[in-house]
Amino acid sequence: MRVILERSNLLKSLNHVHRVVERRNTIPILSNVLLSAEGASLEMKATDLDLEVTEATPAKVERGGATTVPAHLLYDIVRKLSDGAEVMLKTDEDGNAMTVTSGRSSFRLQCLPQSDFPELSAGSFSHIFRLDSVALKGLIEKTQFAISTEETRYYLNGIYLHTHEVGGKLKLRSVATDGHRLARAEIDAPAGSEGMPGIIIPRKTVSELQKLVDDPDVAVTTELSDTKIRFTIGSVVLTSKLIDGTFPDYQRVIPTGNDKKLILDRQSFAAAVDRVSTISSERGRAVKLSISEGQVTLAVNNPDSGSATEELAADYSSDPIEIGFNAKYLLDVAAQLTGTEAKFMLADAGSPTLIHDMADETALYVLMPMRV
Amino acid sequence: METTATILHADLDAFYASVEQLLDPSLRGKPIAVGGGVVLAASYEARAFGVRGGMPGRKARELCPQLIFVGGNFSHYQRLGDAAIKVLDDFTPVVERISIDEAFADVAGCTHLFGQPREIATAIRRRVRAELGLPISIGVARTKHLAKIASQVAKPDGLVVVDPGTELAFLHDLPVSLMWGVGPATKARLAEIGVETIGELARTHSGALTRLLGPAAGEKLAALSWNRDPRKLETRRRAHSAGAQSALGQKPAVARVIVPTLLHLADRVASRLRAKARPGRTVTVRVRFADLSAVTRSITLDQPISATTMLAEIAGDLVRGVLGDHPREKTISLLAISVSHLEESAELQLDLPLGLADEKRRPGSKKGLARFGADRAIDKIRERFGKQAVGYGTVALEAARSVPDEFRELAEKEL
Repeated sequence: MRVILERSNLLKSLNHVHRVVERRNTIPILSNVLLSAEGASLEMKATDLDLEVTEATPAKVERGGATTVPAHLLYDIVRKLSDGAEVMLKTDEDGNAMTVTSGRSSFRLQCLPQSDFPELSAGSFSHIFRLDSVALKGLIEKTQFAISTEETRYYLNGIYLHTHEVGGKLKLRSVATDGHRLARAEIDAPAGSEGMPGIIIPRKTVSELQKLVDDPDVAVTTELSDTKIRFTIGSVVLTSKLIDGTFPDYQRVIPTGNDKKLILDRQSFAAAVDRVSTISSERGRAVKLSISEGQVTLAVNNPDSGSATEELAADYSSDPIEIGFNAKYLLDVAAQLTGTEAKFMLADAGSPTLIHDMADETALYVLMPMRV
Repeated sequence: METTATILHADLDAFYASVEQLLDPSLRGKPIAVGGGVVLAASYEARAFGVRGGMPGRKARELCPQLIFVGGNFSHYQRLGDAAIKVLDDFTPVVERISIDEAFADVAGCTHLFGQPREIATAIRRRVRAELGLPISIGVARTKHLAKIASQVAKPDGLVVVDPGTELAFLHDLPVSLMWGVGPATKARLAEIGVETIGELARTHSGALTRLLGPAAGEKLAALSWNRDPRKLETRRRAHSAGAQSALGQKPAVARVIVPTLLHLADRVASRLRAKARPGRTVTVRVRFADLSAVTRSITLDQPISATTMLAEIAGDLVRGVLGDHPREKTISLLAISVSHLEESAELQLDLPLGLADEKRRPGSKKGLARFGADRAIDKIRERFGKQAVGYGTVALEAARSVPDEFRELAEKEL
């Protein structure tokens, strides 16, 4: 293989691809990126056996071929080369090493044979639809923070993507929960998504996808079956296994009868929560909300260091209530809301509380209180 | 490190047996053992015949036919243990009690009042003997580890002061089994590479020790063998963990044995956690097989627990995991549970009622709250009517125990 390409193109693609590669691998080939030069492009591919990212970038291919080299090493080298430079990648005759040359710099990297590189067989997809990147980004970002990290609840370690009929219209919904809080977002279901199975997209895939859809107006082609999903975003193709598990019936925890309505200015609320929680210890994180007509008092009590309170004007006219929440969970939700006001629908201090984004009816958050 | 030896380790000699001899003068000078089915403690007279704590009663009788078995006066153990440690408090505020009958004390700050550490130790021994009628041995050294070894060497009823210049000479001739952290298993492993004295251990290549004992234990023992022990006395020690263990003799590794034993252990551990309002996040179990080799396994939970049944179930999973990995071990001789990463917080994050299968093991779920509520009710009944008033069925129905629970409680008690 002998190929010449722009450093900036190589860097951009490697940046997308190399993140998939885990820093520690027991199987050496998984540390490597597969480079294949053919026609007028260089294709790069990396995998962790659950997730695979491929990207092709324009290149002058003087001699076609393929090899694999350590992904993070190659990325670090290319990152340090001077901007605007050209890079030549050339494999030895015997294929045991690859030379990276740019200007007066030259690096020799040890190769592993491309034939050892694992292929994530995608099989056939049952559904295909297109999403614009803004819509996809919304589905991810509004729910991602609630994904569970608990390994024993592996079926909560991702975003549940499924279709759901609301008032005769089909919606594509994303839901995530860690057992304490739940986030739900929805968009109109795109053509082609009808009848798709409900799938759980793993956390790592979600986070890679989120970085790839940063570009605002790219159409994302989504193909899926009940075991795999593939996103094609411009020149990048991300293929991932899905979590093999059953997402719980989340509808049952979304309260419908909460009748105590509290409306707060979102930014002042978030700032107040952040301020009073300064006093809280690392693990005791509860902030107590004492809600009465027209006002909320936030209080944090830490037996080791002291206490803090702050009063906040609020739109509230139901019976007074005291309820505790994890300060971090309140801040996480507040960070997702877009409107100037946040609406809380409360029942009592031991039941799920509903939080709505006043500017975006498609998003919804459920928060379980803390007992304080 | 200090330049003079000011750390005392005071250890009451054959404590339970000494108390029995104190209470009943007719037992003095005679070989006695506290216990019955199992020897819980043996007097020095009995030890001369080879009788040891933990030995089956029958074997003890074989070794020493005139051995006198006595039941336990548990309330006196606590009272006299407290009184002995109280004597240390009269000399220095820096006292760290580590069990019912032993404590460390640092006298660095009070030599101008009471004289040299040797004189203080002599005075303590004299007072404990005069006021309580009990023998106590004291080791004095610059480090906790060496002070503890010195008190073992001093027994029975003696005093050993290790001057800074003679530390290694003193330490290196002693057997490794005197070291903190060297039990029968470690001792046997060290013997395999020909290490029997602390000096031989000190001269063993660190790589060999690490390979034999693992990096943590290997480095620790190497440091201790050169008298490097940076641990300070912890006077206001908060418990870092709570644990309990049950020696089973030789029992088959089956659910019928394991489940009630774990529930009984969990009951003891969890009720202590609840009494202190300090639930814990890490559950550790220890399974010892027929050949006394042991396996430890732990899990760190998302939320701290203190409900008995949750602890018992989680421990059960861990034990099943151990047995699954050691399919050839059919017999177990000991089970232990300990809970660490204890937390203060009274705050509890409630769980969304998602109806998941593992909810009953979550303290914040409806089922978890119900389990905790039931345990609190048990605690209250026991406070009024005693430990035996109420308990879990499988535990209550289990055969009579060889070791009374009162005795276990003394040993496991937070001091």
